[in-house]
Amino acid sequence: MKLDPKVPSGPLESKWSNYLRDVKLVSPNNKRKYKIIVVGTGLAGASAAASLAELGYEVETFTILDSARRAHSIAAQGGINAAKNYQNDGDSVWRLFYDTIKGGDYRSREANVYRLAENSNRIIDQAVAQGVPFGREYGGLLDNRSFGGAQVSRTFYSRGQTGQQLLLGAYQAMMRMVHTGKIKSYTRHEMLDLVVVDGVARGIITRDLVSGEIKRHEAHAVVLCTGGYGNVFYLSTNAKNSNVTAAWRCHKRGATFANPCFVQIHPTCIPVSGDYQSKLTLMSESLRNDGRVWVPRKKNDDRHPNDIPEDERYYYLEERYPSFGNLVPRDVASRNAKLVTDEGLGVGDSGLAVYLDFRDAIKRDGEETIRARYGNLFDMYENISDENPYKQPMRIFPAVHYTMGGLWVDYDLMSNIPGLFVAGEANFSDHGANRLGASALMQGLSDGYFIIPYTMGSYLADADLPNVDTDHDAFKEAADDSKNQLDRLLNINGNKTVIEFHRELGKIMWDKVGISRSKEGLEEAISEIRALREDFWQNVRVPGEANYYNKYLEFAARVADYFELAELMAIDAIDRGESCGCHLRDEYQTEEGEAIRNDKDFAFVSAYEYLGVNGKLETKLHKEDLNFEFVELKQRSYK
Amino acid sequence: MSTMTINLKVWRQKNTADSGGFQDYKLNGVSEHMSFLEMLDVLNEQLIKEGKDPVEFDHDCREGICGSCNMVINGRAHGPKRLTAACQLHMREYSDGDTIVIEPPRAKAFPIIRDLVVDRSAFDRIIEAGGYVSVKTGAAPEANLIPVEQDVSNTAFDYATCIGCGACVAACPNSSASLFTGAKVAHLNSLPQGEPERKRRTVAMVEQMEKEGFGDCSNYAECEAVCPVGISISSIAKMRKDYVKAVFS
Amino acid sequence: MPTLLKAATSQVGRKILTGVTGVLLVLFIFFHLGGNLAIFGEADAMNRYSLLLHDLGPLLWVARIGLLAVFLIHAWIGISIWINKRKARPQNYQVYSSKGGPSKQSLSSRSMAFTGVVLLIFVVFHLNTFAFGDMETILIDGRETHDVKSLVIDTFQNPLYAFGYAFVMLLLGTHLGHGIWSAFISLGLTSKKASAAMYTIGGVVAVILAFGFIFIPLYIYFGGGCEATLIECR
Repeated sequence: MKLDPKVPSGPLESKWSNYLRDVKLVSPNNKRKYKIIVVGTGLAGASAAASLAELGYEVETFTILDSARRAHSIAAQGGINAAKNYQNDGDSVWRLFYDTIKGGDYRSREANVYRLAENSNRIIDQAVAQGVPFGREYGGLLDNRSFGGAQVSRTFYSRGQTGQQLLLGAYQAMMRMVHTGKIKSYTRHEMLDLVVVDGVARGIITRDLVSGEIKRHEAHAVVLCTGGYGNVFYLSTNAKNSNVTAAWRCHKRGATFANPCFVQIHPTCIPVSGDYQSKLTLMSESLRNDGRVWVPRKKNDDRHPNDIPEDERYYYLEERYPSFGNLVPRDVASRNAKLVTDEGLGVGDSGLAVYLDFRDAIKRDGEETIRARYGNLFDMYENISDENPYKQPMRIFPAVHYTMGGLWVDYDLMSNIPGLFVAGEANFSDHGANRLGASALMQGLSDGYFIIPYTMGSYLADADLPNVDTDHDAFKEAADDSKNQLDRLLNINGNKTVIEFHRELGKIMWDKVGISRSKEGLEEAISEIRALREDFWQNVRVPGEANYYNKYLEFAARVADYFELAELMAIDAIDRGESCGCHLRDEYQTEEGEAIRNDKDFAFVSAYEYLGVNGKLETKLHKEDLNFEFVELKQRSYK
Repeated sequence: MSTMTINLKVWRQKNTADSGGFQDYKLNGVSEHMSFLEMLDVLNEQLIKEGKDPVEFDHDCREGICGSCNMVINGRAHGPKRLTAACQLHMREYSDGDTIVIEPPRAKAFPIIRDLVVDRSAFDRIIEAGGYVSVKTGAAPEANLIPVEQDVSNTAFDYATCIGCGACVAACPNSSASLFTGAKVAHLNSLPQGEPERKRRTVAMVEQMEKEGFGDCSNYAECEAVCPVGISISSIAKMRKDYVKAVFS
Repeated sequence: MPTLLKAATSQVGRKILTGVTGVLLVLFIFFHLGGNLAIFGEADAMNRYSLLLHDLGPLLWVARIGLLAVFLIHAWIGISIWINKRKARPQNYQVYSSKGGPSKQSLSSRSMAFTGVVLLIFVVFHLNTFAFGDMETILIDGRETHDVKSLVIDTFQNPLYAFGYAFVMLLLGTHLGHGIWSAFISLGLTSKKASAAMYTIGGVVAVILAFGFIFIPLYIYFGGGCEATLIECR
């Protein structure tokens, strides 16, 4: 298998415009003859579905939730980047591109990232026209805030609910097309398999989560927008239903999975409070604009934080990174939080937390200003922790948040299976080894509004797609596989619940495939994952039956996939013998704990082919070399 | 850390056709730091181990923004705490030995799927009828060509924060969806971008709301009281004003 | 756009109509109370007032029919909301309570249908007694007219009537406690401050009206009709 990224030739600035100039078009009469399935209706899915339907394609959308509006894109708080340069502070498409490539620690494809930066401005235009209420200045024009990893203010925001407002914009655009009949929307339907006919993606198998019915859907192309796989850690900031199943089943049908070990650990989350904890809550990174991160200099200092004098506070980010201070990228902030807590300087009952302090900002700008900026985040914190962040510092700790890895795609966002497109967090495309804040919303919408609609046309114009109906053997086989797996899960009837298994898997992943990784730990993780996976298939207890609404059956099938993915993540983490972005290998760091990247040996995308699971996961690694023609590879420094 | 024993009385219903009924459960070892949904997770783990069917309830983000959860707790949508979705409710609101009655939101327009899970697709259809600005991808002008007065933008935002959970319907003595519909109407109608479709949108959404079988609004304002994001019934007043304007133009 | 009829019978249209008719009815009630208070004027004041109204001739009939229409529309919509409510929630909650705060659920708002229906029935009896009842005729300025005042005084000497009337007027106050504010919200009052002010004003107006209407029968009853200090009879 040869992975061809199909990046257009020419200078960086004109690759996408050249592509658009030359792209083959589908005539309006023919568009309506094509049916496109969009799986997942978050930012990427809803925007792609709306845009494709507006063009005239027949679109079918699928979501596991009861409405497209509930997709987890909704939880993004801080904002969305765009290179508008409204602040006149020197921003440009190039700078946004450069910050994103650098923030990703040079492990992403230049051409894709440049296109993302180019599209960023149109996203803001689109969203504003849809009525997305972005923050504005008194003059009525759009306001910006600054975000980690950048020295310009380019982040557009809707209070702390930017993801929600952007998703509602995309959802509403999608519902408009549902109303016209161009989109048929299936809610509470879970994709359980991809149907590949003669090497081309031609449909999906779903389970109707209400009736339990296994259904077959054929199409001319499939767009997968099913988000990330952070829930493999059990505890993450992902929603409870976020899962890897759709992507993983595509992987099992031949789609390569790229950079699975690149997982972003978000630095500002509310710490774990007990064993019953079901998920972690993120506090927007924008808090670091005004909050100062510190720990006591003295170990086991059990004084109230407000009683610790200034000279006994260790503002470790400001001291170690004087030029970026508290605004270092997420990976750096998370790693440093782990470093100080490993040294025993952590705070709170568990010692697994650091302070994020607004005392000085409140003194400087007044409580009202801070309330206007972060009021809802402060309320959320107080509601969960029962502590008032206006009066005492917040306690925060890193948590799994975003997965840069995902299904491999080429410049067209098509996987190595023709006809299977992957957009948003589900692909590996733009963030390399680390995603900058306020870039996820940007990528999801860039993919959905401004890339897929063009590249889809390019694919369909050239593709030779004979009629396939759902009686085809490939559909039957895939549907049977899905049904058999569910039956198998229900029939084990063991003594441990799905959640217990998932929690144990998550612990292995957090401890050994988390913020920092070592070869030894990763090898242990692999053998533990294998053993637990065996145990799962012998001992899991899944309640109820398959022919009605059964949430724990859904969970069971998803956890089964996590067990395979987890092993792949560890394999990839071992294989990548360097530290880059969010991937920190203990063996590859300076004495001060700074990452050592190895461009000579590892400037490539790892794309794994699935060969099967037989006690162990069998995979084959394919490498897509990353050629940096336009930026110079530098050791990242935020000092 | 001290823990509590909580008595639960939970509505169980196998499917839409089933008549359903309450089941009593006793749950030990409930920590005050647990969220309400985590408490239900613990109950479900216990039920699964006992070989019983767990209680089904909708939940997803568990941080109060997705609008999935919407159970009625001791007669109040999302429980006792104002401006708080059920997933953000914590057990510290309760004391040892308390009895908690949990019911699904009840409305003809929200048929029960199973236990506490209901079908809220009526909300999607209300949005579908007109809850958008018709701007095709790519057709948007440069963003700053549409200046919006900050106050107007803030007001629109207040309405736009609706999470579509349906607590307003659940709590309304008449099962009206006026707050949900009004919030979207008021959000888009307040903004210059929404102006060209203001009349059509208002009428279409109002008609769809009625078609779905929601009840009338009697200005009880209970919807505002239970709304986890505090949307004001002024949105309903705005919807009515715009409706009259649409009819008489 | 919908036709006027369709708009008027839509959920939102009906609510707006409820508000419009409600406001008109409140204005009428004020007017009515003004007339009632004429009982405390000089001996013929009330009957002169009655004569004045009769002198309006056909205009009076227009007003009467208009008022009746407004009243029936208001009542019909109110009853239909109450019926719809059952349709919209076929199965009720086992436990239900208000969350307080901005909620306007109160005895007043929850009993709108009940107080409204009682008022509807009351009006039938009320018209029967005072509009179509047997009345003496007297001469005022040489013109023959109905002696409404004596009828009122006689009627309210009957404890059943006096207390029954007072009780219904208490229900009227209850109805208006929510109703006046609600009408303004129905008519598109969006300002939160104005809404809060209106809720207070509505409550005060409701109390004043109820007090006014309750005072008269009870005063007549306890004061012994024409014996009462404030009442001057011929």
